[in-house]
Amino acid sequence: MLQYAVKRILWMIPTFFMISLVVFVLINLAPGNPGQAGGAENGQSGQSVQSESVIFFKRQFNLDKPILVNTRTRLTQGEVRQLIVTARSVEGTPTPAQIIAAKDALEDYGNYLVRHLVALQADDANPDVRRLATSYLLTAATLSMTSETAGDAAAARDVNRERDAYNRVFRDWSCAAAAPPECVGETTAKWQAWWAENRSTYEYTAAETAWAFFFDTRFATYWRNLVHLDFGVSANSREPILDLVLGKLKYSVSLSLTAVMLAYLVAVPLGVYSAVRSGSRADTVLTAGLFVLYSLPTFFTGTVLLQLLSQGTPVKWFPTGDFQSQAAIPTTLGSLADIAWHLALPVATSTSVALAALSRYARTGVIDVIRADYIRTARAKGLEEPVVIIKHAVRNGMIPILTLLGGILPVLVSGSVVIEVVFNIPGMGQFLVESIGQRDYNAVMAVLLASAVLTLVGILFSDLSYALVDPRINLD
Amino acid sequence: MTDASSAQPLPQRLPERPPAAAEDPSWLQIVWGQFKKRKIPYYSMWGVFGLFLIAVYAPVFISNKPFVWNGGDGLEFPWLTTLFNRNTYENAIDIFFNSLLLPGTLLIVPVAVVWRRTAGRPRRARIAARQRAMLGAFGAWAVALVALLAFPLQAPTPVYPEVEATLEAAGTPVTAVYAPVPYSYRGTDISKAMEGPSTEHLLGTDGAGSDVFARMVFGTRVSLTVGIFAVLLYITVGTVVGAVAGFFGGRLDTLLMRIVEVVICIPSLFLVLSVAAFIPERSIFHIMLIIAAVAWTGPARLVRAEFLRLRELDFVAAARASGFGKASIIFEEILPNALGPVLVSATFGVASAILVESTMSFLGLGDISVPSWGQILATGRQTSSWTLILAPGFAIFLTVSLLNLLGEGVRDALDPKLRS
Repeated sequence: MLQYAVKRILWMIPTFFMISLVVFVLINLAPGNPGQAGGAENGQSGQSVQSESVIFFKRQFNLDKPILVNTRTRLTQGEVRQLIVTARSVEGTPTPAQIIAAKDALEDYGNYLVRHLVALQADDANPDVRRLATSYLLTAATLSMTSETAGDAAAARDVNRERDAYNRVFRDWSCAAAAPPECVGETTAKWQAWWAENRSTYEYTAAETAWAFFFDTRFATYWRNLVHLDFGVSANSREPILDLVLGKLKYSVSLSLTAVMLAYLVAVPLGVYSAVRSGSRADTVLTAGLFVLYSLPTFFTGTVLLQLLSQGTPVKWFPTGDFQSQAAIPTTLGSLADIAWHLALPVATSTSVALAALSRYARTGVIDVIRADYIRTARAKGLEEPVVIIKHAVRNGMIPILTLLGGILPVLVSGSVVIEVVFNIPGMGQFLVESIGQRDYNAVMAVLLASAVLTLVGILFSDLSYALVDPRINLD
Repeated sequence: MTDASSAQPLPQRLPERPPAAAEDPSWLQIVWGQFKKRKIPYYSMWGVFGLFLIAVYAPVFISNKPFVWNGGDGLEFPWLTTLFNRNTYENAIDIFFNSLLLPGTLLIVPVAVVWRRTAGRPRRARIAARQRAMLGAFGAWAVALVALLAFPLQAPTPVYPEVEATLEAAGTPVTAVYAPVPYSYRGTDISKAMEGPSTEHLLGTDGAGSDVFARMVFGTRVSLTVGIFAVLLYITVGTVVGAVAGFFGGRLDTLLMRIVEVVICIPSLFLVLSVAAFIPERSIFHIMLIIAAVAWTGPARLVRAEFLRLRELDFVAAARASGFGKASIIFEEILPNALGPVLVSATFGVASAILVESTMSFLGLGDISVPSWGQILATGRQTSSWTLILAPGFAIFLTVSLLNLLGEGVRDALDPKLRS
C-alpha cells in the first residue's frame, strides 16, 4: 500500500510536467500576441516610446523567446539582412504584415543578431543596410533590465546597475539617417573594436547551441522559475502570482469542500432510501427530482437563487456576493456565521450539482448489492431489516461512491468558475476569468497548474481510499 | 399424460413455424424494439427531433424578410431570395440549416418515393435501393451546401419594414406578407431595449433591442450545431486513438494512455475558457474545436477497453486467419462491435457540449456574433430580468434533459442484460 502510494506520487511528477507542457503550449500557441495585448495599454503602436516599453514587457515576461525550441543560433547573415530590408522597406515593397513580422522578429531575436549585424555593418554593399545594422546592433547588444518590483529587489538593483554600466559604453554609437557619412564610418570602427573584444560572448559553440536549443525558451525559463516555486508576477498587479493564487485558493477550496461534504451527507441517505424502496412512488418522485437537478445548468440555478433570495424579487435574505462582510466581526463564532450566511447560496448551488450525480450512483450501488446472495443469507439468518441494509448492503454499496470523490473535487473546482462569477466570490475561478480578461499569462498558467495538482491529488486520494475500503483490491 | 397425447401435437405444430421468407430481426431492429418499449426515452427522442425541426424551420416562423412583397415594382419574394444571402444570414451555421430547410426538404420527396416503391422487395434488394436513394439525396444536399458556402451570395438587402413605412408615408400601396414573427435575431433597435414581454415581442427585447424570442429560436441552431459537431469530432478522434491503443497494445498503448491521463488531469472548463479567451475573433467553430480537444479522452478510453476485450475473441482470430489486413480487422471487424458504449457516451456528450457552450457564452467567452442561450441568460442576470433568465434557462434545461433521457434509453436498449 505504502509502496503503491509512493510510486503513484512519484508518477505525478512526470505527469505534472506533461500537463504543464500541454497547457503551456496550448496557451502560447493560441493565436493572439500577448506582447501586443500587454503593451496595447501603453498607447498606439509604431511609436518609439511604445515600442521600447513593448520590448521591455516582452523581455520581462520572456515573450521574446521561442516557445519550446530555440533555433536562433542557426540564423544566417542572409536571413538577418532580409529581416532588416523588410522591416525598413529598404529594398522592394513588402506588405504591412511582412513588415510587422520582420520588426517583431528583430525585436525578439535580441542577442542572437549581434554577430550578423556586426558583419553586415562592416561589409554590406548597401550603405542604408550598413547604417540600419548599426542602429539595430545598439538595441541587440543592450542588456535588458530585470524587474525590481518582484523578488529580491536589492539583488535586482545590483544586477541592473552592472548592466547599465555595460550598456553605457555604446549608448550613442549609432547614426541617424540624416547624419554625415563620416558618422557611419566612425561608429563602425568603434563597434568593430568592441566586437574584437566581446566576440566570444556572441559566437556559439556546439554546446552553447544545444543549450540554447532546449533551454533558452519560454517553457524552459518558466520551469526554471517553477522549480523555485516562482510562478512569475502578475502582468496586471505586478504581485507574485503564487501569493495571489494561494490567497484565492482558500475561498475556492472551502466552497468546494463544504459542497462535497453536504452533497455526500444528503445524497447517500437519499440514494439508499431510493434503492430500498426501489420501484415505489417515493423512489420515482425522488429519481425524477434528482434528474431535474442533474440537468439544470449551474449558472441557471445560481442566477435563479440569487434573483429569488437576494436581489429582492421577492426577498433579500442573503447577500448578493462576497465571501464575508467587509466590516470586521470580533468573535470567531460570529465570523463563521457570517461566512456561512454569505456562502449559503453558492454552496447550495454547488451542492445541487454534485448531489444529483452522487445519489444516482448511491442508488445503483445499493440496488446492485441488495440482489447479492449474502444479503439473502443475512435476511435468512433472521437479522433485522435495518441491520441488513445498513451493515451489509450500504457498506458495500458505497464503495463505488467513494471513488467518485476523486472525480467530483476537480469538477467542483472547475464549476467554481461559474459559481464564483455569479455570486461574486473572490476565489480562483473568478481570478481566472479576470486574468483571462487582462491576458495575464502567468496568472492563467498558475491557476491551471494549481487546479491540475488538485485533480491529481484527488485521483490519487480516491484510488487509495478504494484500496483501503475494498479488501478485494490488492495494489501491491 | 400418456405417451400418445404428448406425441400427438407435434406434427400439428410444425406448420406454425415461421415461413422461411420471414426475416430474422437485425441487431439494429432488436435494439430499436428494445428502445421503443420505454416510453420516456422514446418520447424524448421525438422531443430532440422536434428541437431539430425548430432549428431547421426557424426562418419560416421568424424572419424580417417578407415572403411576398410588392412595393410597386412587381412581385418579389425576398424571403426566398435572401435565404442564402450572407448579408441576411451571416453565419455558416445559418447557411447550413437553411440548406437543410430548402434543398433538404425538397430531397425528402424522391427518398420517400423510393422508400414506398421498394417496400415489397426482398430485404437485400430493398436495403440496397434505399441506401442508394439516401446516398444520392445526401450527395445532392452536400453539393448544394458546399456550393452555397464556397460561393456566397452577398447582394445588399433593404430593411423591408422600414421601406414599407417610407413607401406608405409617400402614399404608395404596399403588399407584404411577413412571417408570424417579423424580426431578425440580428436586428437591433436601441429605442426598444429591455422591454418586457408583449404581443409585439413575445419574450421582450434584450439590451440591444433585439427580439429575444427570435434569438432564443435561432439559439437552438447554435446549441444543436455545437453539441452535435463537437461530439462527432471528438468521437472520431477518440475512437481512432482508442482503437489503435487497444488493438496494438504494448508501448503504443502505454504512450497513448499516458497522454490521455495528462489531458484528463487538466480541469476541462478552466482549459476551455483559457484557450478560448486567447483566440482573437473566436467563432463558434473555434468553440467546437476547443470542446473536442479536451473531450476526446472519454471515447478513447471506452473504445480501448472494448478493443482489449474484443481482440481476444474468436471472430478476430478467424479474421486474422483469413488474412485480413490490420486496418480492416480494426475498422470492419472489431469497431462495429465496440461502438455501443460510444453511442451512449455520444448522446450524453451532446448534452454536456451544449452545457459547456452555454457556460462559455454566459461568461462572455463565447462567439458574440451568434445568438446563444447562455448569452441571453447573462443579460438577464445583469439586468435582473426574469424573462431573460427563465426563457434561456428553461431552453437549456429542456434540451439537456431530453438528451440525457434519450441517452439513458439508448444505454438500456443496448444492454443485453436488460433485454426481455
